[in-house]
Amino acid sequence: MSNHATKTAKLSLKSLLLANPWGFAVPVLVGIIASLAGVALLGVSGWFISAAGLASAIGSALVFNYLTPGAIVRGLAIFRTAGRYGEQVSAHNHLLGLLRTLRLWVWDQRVAKDSANLHEQSRGDLLQRLVSDLDQIIRWPLVVFLPWIYALLSYAAVSVLAYFILPNLLWPLAIAAVFHIFIVPFVCGYFASHAVHVGQILGVHRRGRFVSLFSALITLTIRGHWKDYAQRLDQLDERQRRSEIVIQQAVSVGRFLAYLVTILLLVSCFYLVSVYQASTDNWTLVDGVQGTWFIGFVLSLLAVNELVLPLVQSFVAQGQSQVGLRRLNQLHQDAQVQPDGKIQTIDRMTFSEWRGFYASSGMGNDALDLSVVAGEKVWIRGDSGSGKSTLLAAIAGDCLSTGKAFINDEACDLYGNRGYQSQLSYLPQTPYIFQQSIAANLRLGNPDASTEALWSVLDAVALADWAKSLPNGLETLLSSQGRNLSGGQRKRLALARLLLRQSPVLLLDEPFDGLDKATIATICHSLQNAYKPSILLLVSHVSSQLGDNARVIEL
Amino acid sequence: MRKNKEAKTAHRAGRIKTPEAIFLGELANQQSSKYRLAQGFGVLFAVSLVLQAWALANVFSDMALHQSFSLPLLLLGLFALLLRALANFGRERICTSASRDIRYGLRRTLVSHLTELGPARLRIEEDAALSTRVYEQVDALDDFFSRYKPQVFMVTLIPCVILLSVAPVSWVAFLIFMMTAPLVIIFMIFVGHKAAQANRRQFSVLAMLSNQFMDLSQGLAELKRLNKTNKARQRLSDSASAYQKTTMSVLILAFLSTATLELFASLSIAMIALYLGLGLLEVLPWQVGSSPVTLTQALFLLLLAPEFYLPLRQLGNDYHAKQKAEAAATDLLEILNTPLSDTRKQATKSESVVPALVVDKDAFIGFHQLGWSESGHHRLAPITGGIAQGERVWLSGESGIGKSSLLHLLLGFEEDYQGQLFINRQAFQNIDLSDWRAKLAWLPQTPEWVNGSIRRNLLLGLGSKEGVAAPSEAELQAALIKSQCDDFIQALPDGLDTKLTELGSGLSGGQMQRLSIARALLSKADVWLLDEPCSGLDKDTAQAVLDTLHHVSTGKTLLIVSHDTHPIAWADKHWSLTKGGLHEQSRNENREAIA
Repeated sequence: MSNHATKTAKLSLKSLLLANPWGFAVPVLVGIIASLAGVALLGVSGWFISAAGLASAIGSALVFNYLTPGAIVRGLAIFRTAGRYGEQVSAHNHLLGLLRTLRLWVWDQRVAKDSANLHEQSRGDLLQRLVSDLDQIIRWPLVVFLPWIYALLSYAAVSVLAYFILPNLLWPLAIAAVFHIFIVPFVCGYFASHAVHVGQILGVHRRGRFVSLFSALITLTIRGHWKDYAQRLDQLDERQRRSEIVIQQAVSVGRFLAYLVTILLLVSCFYLVSVYQASTDNWTLVDGVQGTWFIGFVLSLLAVNELVLPLVQSFVAQGQSQVGLRRLNQLHQDAQVQPDGKIQTIDRMTFSEWRGFYASSGMGNDALDLSVVAGEKVWIRGDSGSGKSTLLAAIAGDCLSTGKAFINDEACDLYGNRGYQSQLSYLPQTPYIFQQSIAANLRLGNPDASTEALWSVLDAVALADWAKSLPNGLETLLSSQGRNLSGGQRKRLALARLLLRQSPVLLLDEPFDGLDKATIATICHSLQNAYKPSILLLVSHVSSQLGDNARVIEL
Repeated sequence: MRKNKEAKTAHRAGRIKTPEAIFLGELANQQSSKYRLAQGFGVLFAVSLVLQAWALANVFSDMALHQSFSLPLLLLGLFALLLRALANFGRERICTSASRDIRYGLRRTLVSHLTELGPARLRIEEDAALSTRVYEQVDALDDFFSRYKPQVFMVTLIPCVILLSVAPVSWVAFLIFMMTAPLVIIFMIFVGHKAAQANRRQFSVLAMLSNQFMDLSQGLAELKRLNKTNKARQRLSDSASAYQKTTMSVLILAFLSTATLELFASLSIAMIALYLGLGLLEVLPWQVGSSPVTLTQALFLLLLAPEFYLPLRQLGNDYHAKQKAEAAATDLLEILNTPLSDTRKQATKSESVVPALVVDKDAFIGFHQLGWSESGHHRLAPITGGIAQGERVWLSGESGIGKSSLLHLLLGFEEDYQGQLFINRQAFQNIDLSDWRAKLAWLPQTPEWVNGSIRRNLLLGLGSKEGVAAPSEAELQAALIKSQCDDFIQALPDGLDTKLTELGSGLSGGQMQRLSIARALLSKADVWLLDEPCSGLDKDTAQAVLDTLHHVSTGKTLLIVSHDTHPIAWADKHWSLTKGGLHEQSRNENREAIA
């Protein structure tokens, strides 16, 4: 699944079917066997009972072979039950596999997104897509595709029986099949599709409105306007309700129509196999039609009816899956050409007319010229809002920029440049700590780091004592977003992770915020000795030993 | 989770109804007339079922024995089938409409309850999670009310009707039905429990999976910088595979019990078929040579046999609907059981005249022994003090000591307090709450923004009310200049029409707070309540925001909650709140704290 083509392709229902064709073939096959066995079970047992009755009535009961049909009936019952079981198990196994594939697909799209726009999707929105949209999509094979196949094949099986009873029966059967399998679901789907789409979109929309309104609850309440705004929530709810009603009506009417088709089919079948006898005021079967077989046929038609009923509902699921797919495909990223180029070492970084800015607001630093050579330390200072952080992020290739950058005197596109970024470590203002153990968080910097290396790097950022005091030491699990850490601890842990990478260029954004003097001194000492980078760019409003012997740039 | 366990133990203790079951029952009772009508359709369904079986049995036996059939009987059978379809149609329409009425009504109740809870709602959960409860969890009740609830009635009705119609035909078949039905029900309960366990486990693991994904996704920038996105992908893939494995092992068991139930039903049908077949062939060991049933009767029994077990099997399939509904009910009850303070309704009770001495004479806002405890635990220790008109007070204290609770009290959201609160020397219960609230401006830690443009947010809830004109463009500009927003707003490509979303728009925390200040200015409120407006800002930015606040709030009555890390130098008074009450720091101490 990890080849490049599937990573970047858009999702479609077809690609879902073909995602794991052999895994999907098992539930399809087993389900078909179970459905056919179910239809045959009713047909054969109907024939068996009536044939047995007939045998005893004409006195041939003692020679009637009841063992073989009895065994067939038992076999079919077992097939049906075991088949249903097999279908459910294998289909769910397939669905879970699909869930995994789709989740990884979402992940790949997230990875492909460029860093500046990474936060376009809000957390809630992404979660909604990840949970409910995925849910709608993976149901598709089970709710739409499989029932449709079962209905189609059971109609085919019944046609075989019909052909042997009376070839003429095929006509009404074919017409009913077209109605049951195509026309009725399609017509219902046509009338409800708008409501299905509206309902799906509204579901997302009202949730967003709820969060938005409730987050301003107090302001709206004290201004006395809450009622007007709450009414808008009600309006959305009312619209959702109306679309629900439309869908429900379409489903109910569709089921009723399916019943009507079955009834009409039965009427025409009975009409075709019989002729009116005025003498007895009865309808007799035409010559060549065995009553017992026809009973089996009628009973299997009733079984097919049960298989056809879920089809009507499938169009709702179809619509929901399509909306889910569309929403998921909004995450889709075209494969981007990564500015790639191996950079062995960085000896000199030169920037001319360099300005970093945020994609959304366009705000950033004033354009400047800057040159840094190996062995240099630079301290960037400036007032709040002068764009220090943006400048650093742009140098790190994390943020959009204008102007020219030269690495080792060669023009280089820094933004999203993997080769360049592998040579530097950048500590942003709010670094991220993962919900894993301390050791796992650190090893993201260097997967091969030994335990000693971890302890020594923790020592370097003055966290070793804290880690030792924890009952589980390095294996302590950190809570979501490192919430059980203080801001300073979080930053130092992230710094330790970066130091493990031993990259030649180190960019630090306010590493000393909220730290006491002794800790700052420890970190400065480490950065000047054991973990000394070749080039250090520091953004800080706190003076430190590190800044004291650095070149100062005032923004 | 804890509640769940309680509910479980209650269930085990006997047939005591869980609060969830009671809650769902009460909701269903709101629509009892609809459910009664649905039951009527159910009866029609059951009767047409028997009618159809009888008519078709006659037609079939005639066909088998005489190769002919009577048209009226056939038409009767088909008419019964049509009746069945109609009854189903009606039942479905009514049940879904009942479910809709219940759910949409419940949702409205929940939203209004949350509104009345005000800031207290956040003690239940954050807004995004609450929205899941209000929408997804309420909709999770649908299957219960539209399918499970009516199905319970059918499960008792259809077997009874079938038993009644079978009894006069064949006693043996009647006995087989009678004996197997309880076994099937016992099996059902067993299956249900298994499925419930499987469901619960699956839900929690799935939540963990999403959590892991969100964690990695939020730190994606970091992973990219560390060049470890592939490793994270591997982790996601591994845990998804592990989830698949464990879930399958649970599902295999859960489905196996359903399959056994199915097999059990087919076995019973086979038993009846065997009895009928052998009986028709006159080879039953105890009555060789004579048939206990005619072919018509045999066909009648055989047509009814699957229908006898069908509702039970359907109930088994819908059993998860009940599980889902009960899980959702737990979450919804948590919201509904969070009590509202309702002193306002009995406002007259604390009309007692308070000695004027204890409250500062010219206090605009006065507290006397004002405290707030909830279920024996102090949210706010009793405090006494007063704020004069135009006075600016800095309130500090440890977290959890009740600073925010005091603000919520003043906002009029927590009325279940002890002691007295006076506004302009009037007891708080007696003043007109909306008049008082109109005087307030509220600046919390994270500014309150709705999705929309900056302009819309600045004018949020202003004007458009009778007698009050919306602020003019000039006023808007003036407020922006005063709060020093004009510079960065001009720098925005769309200016005031820039959209604000959940994540802001690239505006910094300090800029967002400045916008809040502009909004407070526009509202012309006299009383400003600020809850840690500077936490989350770095020192320089915080200082700059506080300076702006200093200039624009002159002449306003202001109560600002702030940690000692962000001292308010320009405050007229500094109160520190402790478990013992309110302590006014002298101005000297105040200066020291700042130095």
